[in-house]
Amino acid sequence: MSFTLTTPSGFWNPILWLVFLALFSIIAYLIYSRGNPSYKKDTEQIKPYLSGNPEPTKEKVQVKAGDIYWGFIEALKGYYKVLQAIHTGDMRDYILWYLGIGAIITFILIGGV
Amino acid sequence: MGKLTNFKRSLWVFHASGGSCNACDIEIVAVLTPRYDAERFGIKLVGSPRHADVLLVTGAIPRDFADKLRRIYEQMPDPKAVVVIGNCGTTGGVFYDSYNIAGPIDEVIPVDVYVPGCPPRPEAIIDGIVKAWLKIEKLEKELEGKEK
Ligand code: SF4
Repeated sequence: MSFTLTTPSGFWNPILWLVFLALFSIIAYLIYSRGNPSYKKDTEQIKPYLSGNPEPTKEKVQVKAGDIYWGFIEALKGYYKVLQAIHTGDMRDYILWYLGIGAIITFILIGGV
Repeated sequence: MGKLTNFKRSLWVFHASGGSCNACDIEIVAVLTPRYDAERFGIKLVGSPRHADVLLVTGAIPRDFADKLRRIYEQMPDPKAVVVIGNCGTTGGVFYDSYNIAGPIDEVIPVDVYVPGCPPRPEAIIDGIVKAWLKIEKLEKELEGKEK
């Protein structure tokens, strides 16, 4: 019984794959075993070097998608502050705004007639 | 001077500058220039204390820097040695008794070798590193003894 699957772009043999897996596991273990065994877990020794500064939490070092617009939002802070205050997420509020602004436009365009 | 027998790899050095006037630091750089060229012996400056065997410290260590220096020291793997370069780190130097100084360095972290001078000559720095090297050999033997 042949374990080899031949395709136009190559072949696949699970036995060969297992042999390589074992081989690379041995190499990985050899590299690992040559590491410094005297390092102390749960101390500063396992933390990244940040010029001696404490390591911030992952949330603090993460670049958020919103950070890309930081300059834009900072420059228009006055505008956004007002907008965020009225941005309630309540559909009824938006409909109220829609009707209110619609009424003002209608009033301006046709003079309230 | 003792012979190096046990420590069979290159000695890597990390340099932390805590409030020095920069003259000591420049002498450290001079040790690496073609005239002295410590790198031909495998002694090289590395960018992270996690890769270093020896910590070179210059300056009198301002209060703000003390916790950072402690953290840098703790990040180094064992066996490790600390070498103080210059009078500032050794005794406080011209900053002795200053209100904003947490040093001299041995009040912040344990020190193995002192290289006095303002600034010390490159020959003196190399001599200090060799002494640190011997110290690390001793520590390494102790560590090996413990593991057996
Ligand atoms: S010991 Fe002298 S040369 Fe070195 S940092 Fe202090 S003042 Fe500068």
